[in-house]
Parts: sequence; C-alpha cells; structure tokens
Amino acid sequence: MNILIGTVLLGAVALWLYARLPNAEWRAAGMANAWRMAQFTAPRIVVALLGAGFFAELLPPEQVRALFGEGAGLSGVLLAIALGPITPGGAFVAFAVGAAALKAGATSSLVVTYVTAWSLFSASRFLAYELPLMGRQLALRRLLLCLPVPFLIAGAAHVV
Amino acid sequence: MPSLKNTAAEPPPEQPSRPVFDTGFYILAVSALAAGALVVLFKGWDRALAIARDEMLFMAVLAPKIAAGMFIAATLPLLMPRDKVAIWIGRESGMRGLLLAAFAGAAIPGGPAMTFPLAASFGLVGADIGAIMAFVTSWALLSLNRTLIWEFSFLPVDLVWWRVLLCLPFPILIGLAARAVFGGRDA
Repeated sequence: MNILIGTVLLGAVALWLYARLPNAEWRAAGMANAWRMAQFTAPRIVVALLGAGFFAELLPPEQVRALFGEGAGLSGVLLAIALGPITPGGAFVAFAVGAAALKAGATSSLVVTYVTAWSLFSASRFLAYELPLMGRQLALRRLLLCLPVPFLIAGAAHVV
Repeated sequence: MPSLKNTAAEPPPEQPSRPVFDTGFYILAVSALAAGALVVLFKGWDRALAIARDEMLFMAVLAPKIAAGMFIAATLPLLMPRDKVAIWIGRESGMRGLLLAAFAGAAIPGGPAMTFPLAASFGLVGADIGAIMAFVTSWALLSLNRTLIWEFSFLPVDLVWWRVLLCLPFPILIGLAARAVFGGRDA
C-alpha cells in the first residue's frame, strides 16, 4: 500500500514535469538525463538490495534484541549512532538494514536513531562528495553542528 | 518557485555525467558479495538463491516508483537550473532565508553529486552560512524524493512519520546555530 501511494504520487509529478517541458528537444534531453541516471543507479540498486537481503539473513535475532531491543539503554544508542556513518551505499542500504533490525527485534526509537545518524554522517558520502564539493571548512562545520542531532533524536524518540 | 517560463526558445542545459563504476560502487559490491558468501556458507545455496529471488521481485515491485523518481530528479534540474535556485535562495535573508533553504533542501530531488555543488553555489550568490547549512541538513534529513521512493518502501509508515516529525525542526535549528557560531567571521 505504501509502495502504491508513493508510486502514484511520484508518477503524477513525473507526468506533470513531462508536460511542462517546452518542446521535443527538451523532452529528449529529459529522457536522455533520466536514462543516464538509470544507468548509474540500476546496478547500485540491484547490488544493494541483494546485499541488504543477505545482510538481513545474517543478523542474529538474539544479539539484535540484546544490543538494540527494549532495555538496550545508552549503549544501544551509541552503537546505533556509530553504525550509521559506516553503512556503505545509498539510502536503500540504510533503510533495508533498519528494516531488518526492526524485524529482528530492535526498538523503533533505535532504528530512527540509526537512520538519522546515517543520513547526517554517511562516511562514504562525506568523503566522496561533501568534502571535495563543499570544501573542507564548510563540510567540517556542518559535521560539527549536526553532531548533537542523533543524540537529541534518540532522546526524543525514546520519550515518544 | 522560480520561474519555469522562458525556456522554449533556449536549448536545454547540459547536465554533467559521472562514471557508473566508482569506489562507492565497488565497496557496495564487495559488501554484498561477502554477505552473500556468508549466507551460502551458513545457510546453503538454496536459502541464498531464495533471498536473491525475493529481492529481485521486490525490485520489480519498486521499479515504476524508482523510474518516476529518477525522471523527476533528471528533469527538474532542466526546468529549475542550478543558478536560478541559487539566486532565489541567495536573495533571501533572516528567518525567511532559512525557511526557504530548508524547504528547498527537502523538495529538490537529487543525490549528493547534485546537492552539494548546488549548496556550495549558494555562497557565491549571497546566501549566508545559515542558509547553506539549513539546505544541506534538510536534504540529508528530509529529502522528499528519498522518503517517498525508499523509506516508505522499507520501513513502517508510523516509524517514518515519527522520524520526519522529530527531524523537522533541525534544519532551521542548525541554520540558526551556524549563524550564531560561524556567522560573524566570514559569512
């Protein structure tokens, strides 16, 4: 159902954008761009989904429950925050890992904490994109400013 | 919204291309291969193949949504060129500038290869460090395209809503903090 809603929403926006393109030349350029993006993204999605599936199978439920289940406490928060940045690959990997952990018995608040830590501090993204494209000063300043956020999210998620 | 008009007479802008296979991809591929090998080792070939089949089915279910999302991310930069967005955000200041930057960060689709250069260009057209930080933080935490394509596909709806709600104030707070801490020096 979630997937259907997202598909309909994004499909409508895509059609609207297609209609906004002024002429055939622009439509061709839009399709060419989309095709280039597909070539870049498709191999990553295939590999990442396979990896996420295998990874989920390897997660031992007892350990997941002990580390990230009810009563995991502060060590669970710290571990969830530490695992975020070292998750390789794109969004699908982090979300798939989060979903697998949830199924294996991790609490929702720790999964939210993990996803937040990943989205702010993904190491591969930071090294490959943010540092070279934003420059050292801006990249490090953002890192510094965002550092408390996963902890605050963990605290808030724990309360609600 | 910047103007989407006046594009008919001009040719579409060139978009940069990037190599398909880079270090990030190899890291991902090696991780997936290692995880697959461990599944074969511990659970056998049958289990590994069953997982691979399930994942490919899942991908087929997601395919229309991914295709639509990619078309949006590929077309929007044509209609809303980078320099226009940058000028649009650079013009604003104060709380309005932060809100606009945060909104743009969540709404403009695109991966890191598109977002970081866009954010860096804000500085060149007059945006302050607060707006730049609000934009990047908002994109990282709240990217709409990413949430619609990926997050809702994997995680339970209520969890996603809670995460989005909890994260909602942070782009603005980070922007304000950036102004307070770094704003005086070289912004």
